[in-house]
Amino acid sequence: MNVLTIQNLSKSFGKQTIIDNLNLSVPERSVFGFIGKNGAGKTTTMKMVLGLLQPDKGEIHVCNEPVCFGQTRTNQYIGYLPDVPEFYNYMTPIQYLKLCGEVIGLSKTEISKRSDELLSLVGLNDVTKQIGGFSRGMKQRLGIAQALLTQPKLLICDEPTSALDPVGRKEILDILYKISGTTTVLFSTHILSDVERICDHAAFLNEGKIAVTGTLAEIKALHGHDSLLLEFSADQDLQLFKKQKSIEPLLLHSEENNRELILHSRDMVSVQKLLFRVLAETGICPVKIELMEPSLESLFLEVVK
Amino acid sequence: MSGYIAFIKKEFTENMKNYRFLILFAVFLIFGIMSAFLAKFTPEILSALAADMEMTSEPVALDAWKQFYKNISGVGFSAFIILFGSCLSNEYSKGTLVLMVTKGLSRKAVILAKYTVAAALMTISYWIGYASTYGYTALLWNDNHLSNVAFAAVSLWIVGFLYLSILMIGCVIFKQTFTSILFTGGIVAIISLLGMIEPIAKFNPFILTSKNIDLISGEAVPAEFMIPAVISISLSILGVLIAIRLFNKKQL
Repeated sequence: MNVLTIQNLSKSFGKQTIIDNLNLSVPERSVFGFIGKNGAGKTTTMKMVLGLLQPDKGEIHVCNEPVCFGQTRTNQYIGYLPDVPEFYNYMTPIQYLKLCGEVIGLSKTEISKRSDELLSLVGLNDVTKQIGGFSRGMKQRLGIAQALLTQPKLLICDEPTSALDPVGRKEILDILYKISGTTTVLFSTHILSDVERICDHAAFLNEGKIAVTGTLAEIKALHGHDSLLLEFSADQDLQLFKKQKSIEPLLLHSEENNRELILHSRDMVSVQKLLFRVLAETGICPVKIELMEPSLESLFLEVVK
Repeated sequence: MSGYIAFIKKEFTENMKNYRFLILFAVFLIFGIMSAFLAKFTPEILSALAADMEMTSEPVALDAWKQFYKNISGVGFSAFIILFGSCLSNEYSKGTLVLMVTKGLSRKAVILAKYTVAAALMTISYWIGYASTYGYTALLWNDNHLSNVAFAAVSLWIVGFLYLSILMIGCVIFKQTFTSILFTGGIVAIISLLGMIEPIAKFNPFILTSKNIDLISGEAVPAEFMIPAVISISLSILGVLIAIRLFNKKQL
């Protein structure tokens, strides 16, 4: 089942079209990476899902219920973490979660139980100072706690890691990964290593449309060249290898770097068959043979080109 | 409903923590106390400063109420509008409401809670100001034969709600504090200008702020205040409804 479906969504600001006929579906229990350049329309899309912005055209369904602008019915299924979450500075984390709990309509015991659980999940359980004195990383973690207070089916995070230092980033990603068993996570980012680390699904947003979408494995299989790296112990071995007649067509798409040779091809299986035959015939023993996976980065660059 | 009550608590704490209530309370209290003393001692102060100036009449209790209505309707309510002019713009600029609204807090509850708390704090401050003027006037003048003192105060208090409703509309429409305050000032100015047009002047809520002294001195009767009071209350309710309607369409 899909937690979120977006159909033919369009939105322009003045003459500038930001989202142009966008279609997207987020399957249940997935960690979904929503990838795009700065200004691609990731935040705009998310705000429309939350009913904070009015779409020009198109339909959005959350848990099979339509999203209406200005109304908040579907938001009961959603937890939202904005890119820079802002809280009431004079409150402590416990007080803020209490306010959120009361807004949702939870009972007192339920609020204190969930607050304790969530604050220890995000590592803020011992913090009693006012939110005004928090670092960005701490605010981001409190943001996750408040977003999960409703026990949402879908957690939407808008660039949760982009402003954080490496330690803060790791903490946020670990938390997101931890909760992914119980909640579907949709998070926008332009940091591709984050996506590779925790996502199982992803979509690339470019020029207001979804350029590529699917599981990470599907995306990698569909796009980009596969490459094979060979490292030789001596330069003679490399030269000898290159002189082999059957290898010649492969050298047209190759890179050479010291004693390393990288071969590019879309049909890796036949390349490998040929390679091992040649190595056996010539008796060359390379020190390393590695099948290189296409990186999301190369895909990203290919998509936004 | 739970959201409304939760947000009322939040608004109340916020107005305590950012000293908004303290300032408002102090302004009304100081002017409440000062009104009686200024009325009583201004002639003496003036004659001490300028020996050759002659005071024509002794100050009376009515002068204290003149001071009260001049100060509260001018400085008191201006302070009220300026202090609460930032009640939504702060939340807009920081984006704190987004998290509340995405948690299912209805936009109606936001406006109603903000209105309720501002109105309650204004009411407390206003009546404390009134009580201090009343107390010191009774203390300084023994022959206190004034009529409709409380009724005159109620009519000015009613206008406070109207000002707040106008301010709420301003706060919803404009993202900056300054423009919301300017908007409120503009509308209030238009209301008082309309008060000069004779055939409709007797229905104008402006009477509630301008004729209080006539009421106390006996030059006006409470009946003259009834229609403007009803109109003022109706406009206040209408203003809140308009603010809610506009806020529902507002992009946060």
